Amino acid sequence: MAFESVKETTESRIREVALGTGELKVGGENVLAFHLFEGEMPNRPLIAVEVYDYYPEEWSDAVKEPLADVLSDPVAWAKKAQDEWGADLIALRLKSTDPKGMDRSLEEAVETVKAVVDAVNIPVMIYGSEDVEKDGEVMKAVAAACEGKNVIIGPALEDNYKTIGAAAIGYNHTVAAKTPIDVNLAKQLNILLSNLGVDTEKILIDPTTGALGYGLEYTYSVMERLKIAALRQDDSMTQMPLIADVGTEVWKAKEAKTPASEEPLWGDEKKRGVIWEIVTATALLMAGADIVIMRHPDAIKAVRKVIDNMLS
Amino acid sequence: MDREKVRVCFYPENRCIEVDKGENLLRAAMKADVHINASCGGEGYCGKCRVIIEKGEVKQRLQVKLSQEEIKQGYTLACCSTVESDVDVRIPIESQIGDKGVLLRRPPIPLKGYTLSAKDWAERLPQWELNPPTAKFHLILDKPSLEDNISDAERIKRGLAKLADLKDVVIDYPMLSALPSMVRAASFDVTVTVLDRGMEQRAVRLEKGDTTPRQAAIAIDLGTTTVSAQLIDLQTGRVIAEASDYNGQISYGEDVITRIIYSTRSTGLAKLQSAAVNTIWNLIQQMVEKTGIEFCSITHLCISGNTTMIHLLLGLDPRYIRVDPYIPAATHFPWIKASNIGIRIASGVYLRCTPCVASYVGGDIVAGVLASGMFNSEKLTLYIDIGTNGEMVLGNKEWMLSCSCSAGPAFEGAGVKHGMRATRGAIEQVRINEVTKEPMIITIGNRRPIGICGSGLIDLLAELFLTGVIDERGKIDVDLDTPRTRVGESGSEYVLVWADESGTNRDIVITEADIDNLMRAKAAVYAGIQILLQEVGMKIEDVEEILIAGAFGRYLEIDKAIIIGLLPDVDTEKIKFVGNGSLLGSYLMALSKNLIKEADRIANMMTYLELSVNPRFMEQYVSALFLPHTHKEMFPTVLQRLEEARAAAGLGPLERGSELS
Ligand code: FES
Repeated sequence: MAFESVKETTESRIREVALGTGELKVGGENVLAFHLFEGEMPNRPLIAVEVYDYYPEEWSDAVKEPLADVLSDPVAWAKKAQDEWGADLIALRLKSTDPKGMDRSLEEAVETVKAVVDAVNIPVMIYGSEDVEKDGEVMKAVAAACEGKNVIIGPALEDNYKTIGAAAIGYNHTVAAKTPIDVNLAKQLNILLSNLGVDTEKILIDPTTGALGYGLEYTYSVMERLKIAALRQDDSMTQMPLIADVGTEVWKAKEAKTPASEEPLWGDEKKRGVIWEIVTATALLMAGADIVIMRHPDAIKAVRKVIDNMLS
Repeated sequence: MDREKVRVCFYPENRCIEVDKGENLLRAAMKADVHINASCGGEGYCGKCRVIIEKGEVKQRLQVKLSQEEIKQGYTLACCSTVESDVDVRIPIESQIGDKGVLLRRPPIPLKGYTLSAKDWAERLPQWELNPPTAKFHLILDKPSLEDNISDAERIKRGLAKLADLKDVVIDYPMLSALPSMVRAASFDVTVTVLDRGMEQRAVRLEKGDTTPRQAAIAIDLGTTTVSAQLIDLQTGRVIAEASDYNGQISYGEDVITRIIYSTRSTGLAKLQSAAVNTIWNLIQQMVEKTGIEFCSITHLCISGNTTMIHLLLGLDPRYIRVDPYIPAATHFPWIKASNIGIRIASGVYLRCTPCVASYVGGDIVAGVLASGMFNSEKLTLYIDIGTNGEMVLGNKEWMLSCSCSAGPAFEGAGVKHGMRATRGAIEQVRINEVTKEPMIITIGNRRPIGICGSGLIDLLAELFLTGVIDERGKIDVDLDTPRTRVGESGSEYVLVWADESGTNRDIVITEADIDNLMRAKAAVYAGIQILLQEVGMKIEDVEEILIAGAFGRYLEIDKAIIIGLLPDVDTEKIKFVGNGSLLGSYLMALSKNLIKEADRIANMMTYLELSVNPRFMEQYVSALFLPHTHKEMFPTVLQRLEEARAAAGLGPLERGSELS
């Protein structure tokens, strides 16, 4: 008799969330990541490519170099991501609105957002600077300006979920809800958002990402536990697709960004950060990430291949 | 004997309720969950609770707030009236506040809170008998002669052997030194007090003549926050006086940890010891004065407290309680002379502290388990003491597992801006109108409010949540259309009583910080319950009886405690109150030496689970730090009430697009 592997199947599913106005959807799986022998993943995990709304001077040369031609132009950057790197969506970061930094105005922010959203035909997620107050205002303005486009706005935090949630409800957008690496807190914020009136099919969970060497294992276990709660315990308030915020976190790591001149023993600086990003993204895809936000084109290409292979 | 019942009907709500004849009308309305404006706690001061008696008879106190004309029209102040027959009461518009909310409020879940009392002991405590650890014996001794020339001490012993068959009594040294002159001054007509220390009988006091009718003992619950005491007549077993006060150690720190730290300073331990002794001494003095008994009728004290409190009282170094692996100096304590620690009541007064289980499960819990009879029960029982430390015990007569989680003193009214103990003027019951967010309050003693006690805080938190004033995290919605929510000097707050109606001439508020403290306390308790159950692989449904101890006011509304997720959402029939278990246990032990033995047995059989090294505790705690709980599906009745409350307030249903059924 042939060997039959044990299958754990479930009636529960991750909610399928429609992104943008086209066909693209995320989530919908009824299995842990890539357990295709037990169920299905009707939508493939997506790669969102980071675009910053200002010239990121502080970035390491290893990642600035391949992006050099677009770094000072978010629109060109987004188009290149779409056309050349095969981005599934754009993750536009309005870092320049940070009141502790450049403190750009709402109008400027909205202008950038509009330009990017109009320039590409893939969905766009828009993240603020994670200043609780300012993000509330920025997202209100962004939500109004993008009416009808179903963008993802966020991150909605415990302290501004009302404003950002209300903006999403008002203009029919999707919300990314971000909590500090904890299963319970993630669930709590989803309850708060849905009590506010946000459709549970328009919420994504950003459980906070730690890069390799900087808490990856925590993010891994929180993501995995969220998926287990969603699928095995049928916990409705954790059945939202997961976002892994990889690019930004990886390129903060000193192992990724330190030039070879400072640490000759660490090896080729052009490969090091890329590998760091690939490893982090791949690990989190295995943990159950439905969207990975990434930065370096080489890493993006490699991770796309990983996803292809896992699904075939 | 049951009191005569009468029926009170409220209109326009058209809701009727049965109450004892003589019940206060405002309290009857509270019971029926009928909202009447009431701002002054029921003192007859604010004049807001006016109602019209349409039928039936009420008895009224002087009602200065009503004009002759109004009285003629049948107006009365609900809080100043008692119901004397079946009555129909109409609530005029101005007392209702808000016109739509009133009709929609759900009928109250009847309070099934059952408090254990003396009549339960026969069944729950078969070991109980009136046989105190000290006894007085009146001896008329043969005068010594050349033929009968044994020593004074031997003469006393012989007398005790003859009268009470007591063998080998040891005579306490101080008594010995007073003996020769004393027996002669009394012409050999004396009363000897004998303390039964378990392994030894000890004669501890000698008095002239027959003092046997006068014998009293003292029971004490030495809490971190509150100390409560009872004076007990040992002849009848009755409590003849009670007193309580905050623990004088509070000025050295609110919780046991800060006190332990303080005790390690140069004279810290001595200061803490004397603060506890002073608090106890003041309570004893108050009770003695109140009853007019003599200090020298007191023969012993039984004291229960948590491990740290007992260490501090006895002057034992508690510092190792605090650090891994958390070791107390002792868990079992001998009978000691009260005067050794500075409690100077009379000569030969001994005290005994109830044994503890471990560093964080103390004699207060042992006493409570004793008093509740849990250690005799076949049923799987969960005993919860909601005090500064939330301690809980799961088990039955076969086994017991205990743990402790630091809940903080919020439910005792400490660490809350306008919190107070459950004494006169404390707000003990609260209702809030869904639409107008106006409160209805009742205070202990129907006085103008001066603060909020534990039960009032639980009520208030539940009502704030049900009416949408706070969200699941306990954050106050200051954008509501009511002057009651505002941003005050210490952050967002809800005004429960305006200054001109309070007894303090200040607004009585609950702040977001207060709510945080309450949330932390309830989360710690609930997490502890979950961990105990997990440890033995059981579910809350398996628990057959839940016993609640704690220093609440007279009411702890079980359904409110469930709404905030302090207690699990179980059949309320299963839940019973022990009251102050620590005090009750101390009282029982002061009267019955059998039970002292049982307490030793209980302390020895209890297993202790250390939560500070339990990684699952934090996880459970965070999930309980939400109203009612992150896993709200564990609270089905609460979800249902929330839906109803939201409907009443005209808000949309919860969770659009979710599976809630
Ligand atoms: S007068 Fe009755 S509550 Fe104030």
